[in-house]
Amino acid sequence: MPLKVVIISLLAFLPSIGWASNPIHYQNDIKPILRRHCLKCHGEDEQKAGLNMQQYQGLMKGGSGGPVVVAGRSSQSLLLEVITEQDDEARMPPNKPMLPEEEIKLIRNWIDQGVLEKAGDTSTLEIRDTGFVPSSNAEGKPTHPSMPSQLPKVASPTTLRPLPILAMATSPWAPLLAVAAQEQVQLWHTQHEQAIGGLAFPEGLPQVLRFSRDGAVLMVAGGRPVESGCVVLFEVSSGKRLVKLGDELDAVLAGDLSPDQSLVAFGGSSDVVKVFSTSQGQEQYRLTQHSDWITAIAFSPDGTTLATADRAGGLHLWDVTTGGIRLSLLEHETSIRALDWRSDSKVLASAGEDGRVIWWDVKDGWPSIQRNEAHPPDRPEGHYGKLPNGVLAARFGKQGHLATAGRNQTITLWSPVGDPLQSFALESALPISTAIAHDSSKLMVGGSDGSLTFWPLDEQPNAGRSE
Amino acid sequence: MKLVRNILLLSLCFHLDRAGLAEEAPTPSFKGDVMPILFRAGCNAGTCHGSARGMDGFRLSLFGYDVQGDYYRIVQEMVGRRINTAIPEESLLLRKAIGSVPHTGGTLFSAESFYYRKLRDWIAAGAPNDGNQTPDAVGITLSTTQLAFEHTTDPAVRIKVMAPYEDGSQQDVSHLARFHGNNPSVATIDEDGWVQATGAGDTHVFARFNRFTAGVETLVLPPDEGFHWPELSEQNFIDSLVFKRLRQLRMAPSELCDDETFLRRITLDLVARPPSVEEYRAFMHDGNPEKRALKIDELLQEDAFADYWTSLWSEQLRIIGGNYAPQGTHIKAAHAFNEWIRRQMRSSRPLDEMVHDMIVSSGSNLQNGPVNLYTMLVHAPRLEPKAFAADFSQVFLGIQIQCAECHNHPFDRWTMDDYYGFVSFFSGVRRKPGIETREQRIYYDTKAGSARHLVDDRPMPAKVLDATLPVDHTGDPRRALAAWLTAPDNEHFAKNMANRIWAHFFGRGVIEPVDDIRISNPPSNAPLMKALSQRLVAVDFDLRSLIRDICNSSVYQLSSQPNPSNRQDTRQFSHASLRRLRADVMIDSFLAVMGTQRRFGSWAAGTKAIDFYPRVGGDTARGDCGDSFLETFGRSPRKSVSSTDTQLEPTLSQTLHLMVGDTLETGLRSNKRLEAIIAHANSSAEALEELFILALSRKPTKTEQNALLPFIESTPQEKEVYEDLFWSLLNSTEFSFNH
Repeated sequence: MPLKVVIISLLAFLPSIGWASNPIHYQNDIKPILRRHCLKCHGEDEQKAGLNMQQYQGLMKGGSGGPVVVAGRSSQSLLLEVITEQDDEARMPPNKPMLPEEEIKLIRNWIDQGVLEKAGDTSTLEIRDTGFVPSSNAEGKPTHPSMPSQLPKVASPTTLRPLPILAMATSPWAPLLAVAAQEQVQLWHTQHEQAIGGLAFPEGLPQVLRFSRDGAVLMVAGGRPVESGCVVLFEVSSGKRLVKLGDELDAVLAGDLSPDQSLVAFGGSSDVVKVFSTSQGQEQYRLTQHSDWITAIAFSPDGTTLATADRAGGLHLWDVTTGGIRLSLLEHETSIRALDWRSDSKVLASAGEDGRVIWWDVKDGWPSIQRNEAHPPDRPEGHYGKLPNGVLAARFGKQGHLATAGRNQTITLWSPVGDPLQSFALESALPISTAIAHDSSKLMVGGSDGSLTFWPLDEQPNAGRSE
Repeated sequence: MKLVRNILLLSLCFHLDRAGLAEEAPTPSFKGDVMPILFRAGCNAGTCHGSARGMDGFRLSLFGYDVQGDYYRIVQEMVGRRINTAIPEESLLLRKAIGSVPHTGGTLFSAESFYYRKLRDWIAAGAPNDGNQTPDAVGITLSTTQLAFEHTTDPAVRIKVMAPYEDGSQQDVSHLARFHGNNPSVATIDEDGWVQATGAGDTHVFARFNRFTAGVETLVLPPDEGFHWPELSEQNFIDSLVFKRLRQLRMAPSELCDDETFLRRITLDLVARPPSVEEYRAFMHDGNPEKRALKIDELLQEDAFADYWTSLWSEQLRIIGGNYAPQGTHIKAAHAFNEWIRRQMRSSRPLDEMVHDMIVSSGSNLQNGPVNLYTMLVHAPRLEPKAFAADFSQVFLGIQIQCAECHNHPFDRWTMDDYYGFVSFFSGVRRKPGIETREQRIYYDTKAGSARHLVDDRPMPAKVLDATLPVDHTGDPRRALAAWLTAPDNEHFAKNMANRIWAHFFGRGVIEPVDDIRISNPPSNAPLMKALSQRLVAVDFDLRSLIRDICNSSVYQLSSQPNPSNRQDTRQFSHASLRRLRADVMIDSFLAVMGTQRRFGSWAAGTKAIDFYPRVGGDTARGDCGDSFLETFGRSPRKSVSSTDTQLEPTLSQTLHLMVGDTLETGLRSNKRLEAIIAHANSSAEALEELFILALSRKPTKTEQNALLPFIESTPQEKEVYEDLFWSLLNSTEFSFNH
C-alpha cells in the first residue's frame, strides 16, 4: 500500500534553509555595529575588561578574560553569548535593550564565516576536506556477503497494532534490512522489499540494531523499560544467537559492536557506558563521564575511537584500547538522538533534539558542517514559541550521504558536504529510524505508527573523487 | 513518479479480540480523561513530575496547565517507551502507576481501578491526541458549601464534586478531584472526599479539579452543655456578624474592656502613642455615656492619625530615600512621594482616588509624588514588569498573582493567561533620566509589546483579572487598570483595603495573612468580610468612616481576658488579642512617656519614629534605618512588600535591649518628668498612682499598692526607688503590648 510521498525539489528547499550568505567583514559590517553599541567602553578611549574592539587585532586578542570570538564557532564565542543573554542584568550593553535581531545575526554569521577582516580576505578557518573517497571502504568487503537462509521460525506476539519501528539497520554488503518489532527483529530484502524472516528477541523491545562491518553479525540491544536490558549478537546467515551480554535494570538505549567484533559498548538510563568483551562475555571497562542517559553510541569503522552521547547534549570521543577520553564535542544543547560514523572514519555525524545535525571533523573535534535547523518545523498560524524541531535519526550511506529524520515528519538526504539533496515527507507518523541500502539505491524509514517505507533514491553523482 | 512503498507491518499484527473492551465506550480523551487522572494520581504535582525539572527525566506541566506539552512528553518525546500502543499493558506509564516496575512515586492505583482502565483504553486506541477540541470544564461546584458536626463522633460526610463543561454538560468528577484541608485538628478530608470531624473549631476543606478550587466551611461544635450567651449590646453591623458567628460556634465573647484599657488601646491604634496623664484624667472624669465614641472622633481628627497612616502606606509602598540616582529612589523623590501621601491622608482623600492617581501617573519623580509608585514599589535600575505586577497585585489586591507565572495558580482561580495579561499593563512603563541627575521621568512607551505567555510565547494584551477579553485602550492601558481596580464593583480592591484596615485593629485580618487572599485561604468570617468591604464602598472609600465603625463596635472594645468558651479562639475575634507594639510605635511611646527625644539617622531631633522613612547611602539594598532599637524590634526594612516584613514576634534580644540597652537607661537617668512627679506628689501613694497612669494608663491595683508602698517608704533613696519602679513598668509586657 504505497502512500503519497511529497518530494520537495532541491530548488524549493534551499532558500528556506538559507545558511549560504555573502561574506561579512569586520570593517564594513561589524565595526559600525560595535561603534554604535560597544566602543564607548571597549574601544580606543576606554578598555573595560581590557577589551578593545576598535581594531580588528584587539577584537581577535580578546579581553582580560581571554578571547571573545572563536573563528567559525559563534556558539563558543563570548561576544555572542553576552549580547544575547536573556537576563537583563547580565547582558551587554548594560542597561540597554538587546541589539536588533538583524545585527546579532550579522555578528553570528561573521563569526561562523571565520571572522574576516576586510573585503578580499580569505577565511582563517582551516579548509576542511570533508570530501569522501568511496573506495576507502572497499576494504573489508567479504567475499560472500551474508544473507540469511533458512531462518528458524519465529512466533509473533499478539499486538494491537505494529510497534513503532524503534530501530533499523542495513547490511553494508547485502540487500538486507533489519527492523525492530515487538520481541523480534524482522529481516527484509531491500531490493524485493519483502520480509525474509525474523529473529526472536524475547528480551523485549529492540532499541538498537547494528550490523558488523562485514555484515556477518547483527547486534540487537534493548529490553523492557525499567525492568531489564541486554545486548544479543546474531549470526546473520543462520539466525543463530551468538552471545548475550549485560544484565541491566532498564532497557539498553544505545549500543554498538566494534569493527573487529571483539567489543560491544552499550548504555542507557544508568548514565554509564559499559564496554563488554564479546569473547569473554564480561565487562572490560566502563565510561562514567556522562551525567545523563546514554542515547547514542558508535565505534569508528577503523576501530580506534568510540563516540558516546547523552540526553543532556554531552558527546565524547574515547580511545577504544585505553578507555581514555580523547575529545569532548560541545555543541548540542539538549538530547543527542543519533550518532553515525562515515565509513572512512574521518567524520562523525550527530543529531539531536536541538534540531542540529553536525558533521564533526574528528581529527580535532571541529564541527566542520553544522545545520542548526536541519528539520525546520511547520509553524501553524497563530502559533508562537518553540516547536519540537528535533532530529531523531541519522545514518550514513556508503557513498558518504547522510539521511536524517526529523520531528517535522520529513526525511532529508544530505550530500557529503552537507547540502540537502532530497526530502521526503512521512504524512501520518514521526519518522524515528532510517537507513540507506548497501547500494545506495533506496532509503528506508521506520515510523512511529509501525510503518516501514522504502524510498528510491536519485542517482547521486559522487560528491568526492570518483573510484 | 518513482515507486515508493510503504508497508505497515501488518504481518506482525493480530488484532486483539476486542470483545473484552466495552464496545460502545467512546475512546478516552487525552485532555478530558487522561489529564484529570494524572492530576488525581498526583503525577503532575510539584513534588513529582510536575516540578520544574521533572522527575527522573520525565516532566509534566504542574497540575496540567500545558495539555499539548504533556501529550508531547508522554507520547512523542521517547517513542515506544512511556506509551506502547502495540501492547498497551507494557506501557511504562501504566506499569509505573501500578508499581509493577520500580517507581519513586510508589503505587498510585491498581490494575483493576477505573484510572487504570481509562488510561489503558486510551493507549489501546492508539494514544490519540484530541487536541483542544474536547470541551473544558468551566468551574466546579461542591455538594455542599458548609458542613457542621455536632460531635467529633459524627459519621464522616462525603463531598461530591460536579463540573460544568463548556458544552453545557455536567459531570460528577468526585473521583478525579483532589482534596485537602486547612486544619486537621478540626477536620480531616481523605483522598475520596470524606470529611471527618476531629476537634471543636472551624476550618475549611477544599476540592480541586482542573484549574479550579472550591472550599467547604467545616464547623465542629463544642459541647452544648454549660454554654451561655452573654447579654452584649450590638453597636453596628460588625457586632451582629461577629456575634452571630460566635453564637453558631458556641463561643461567648469576652466582656467589654474598661475605660482605662479602651483609652490606651484606641490612642495607640489611632495616633500611635499612649494617652498622656492629662488625657487619662479628662477621659476618666468624663461622665458622658458617649465618651468612647467622642474620643474616637477626636483622635481621628488629629494630624497624628493622618501621619500614622502616611507611615503605614509609606512602608507598604517601600519608600526609601537613597542617593543613587539610577534607581529613582533619591531622597527628593522619597520626600515628594511621602508628602503627597500625607496630603491625601490629612485631606481625607478617598482611597480609591488616591490609588487611581498613583497608577496613571507619569512625569518627574521629583515633582510628581505619586509617580514614585514606579520607582519605590520595586527598587531596581529599571522597571521589570513581572516583578512590578507581582508586588502591585500583592499590595493593592492582596493577591499573589506571581504564582501563575509558571503554572496556573494551584490553589486559586488565576491562570497563566490572567497573569501575563496583568503583567502587560506595565510592560510599557519606562524611566528615562530627567533634566537633573537625581531625576527620573516615568512615561508609558505605547509601542511596547505585550508580555508573552510562558507556554507558547504568545503575546498577551493587557487584561484585568476575571476578564476574558483584553481592555480597550489608546496606548497606555494603565487608565483601564485604574478604572477597573477602583470600581465599586471590584470586590478584590475593596476587600483587600477593608481587610488590611481591619487587621490594623485586631492584629490579624478576617483573611490572614492579608496579602495572600485566595480561594484556599478563605475569610474566617465570610459575611463579615463581605460587609466590611461593602461598607468601605458605601462610604466612598473613606478611611476614617470605616475605622469609626470598627472602633465603635463592641467587638473592638472587648476585653483581652478570655473566658472558658473562647480561650482557644484565635480567628473569630471573640476577645481582644494581645498585640505587641510595632517597633516605631513602641519607641515613640517610650519617648512620649519619658518625655525625652531620640535622633534617628540624619532626621531632625524630635522627629517621631512613626514619621520618618529610611534614608540610606549608596544603593538601596540595605533598607533598615540604622537605629538599633528599630532593628531589634523589627521595624520593616522595606525590603519587600510582604506583610511579614514588619516583625512583631518578641525575641530575647528585645528583652535584653530594654533591660541593659541604652534606650531606657539614658532616658531614665535624671528624668525631668519623674522628678516633677516626685516633687508634686503629696504622698507616695499619689506618686505611685501618677507613675502608673503615665506608664500604663491605669491606676495601680490594690495588690500592687500594698506591695509597693511599704517598699517605697522604707527606702531612703527616694529618687532611685522611683527610677527603678519606672524602669520596671516600662519593661513590663503590659507596656510593650496593646491589650
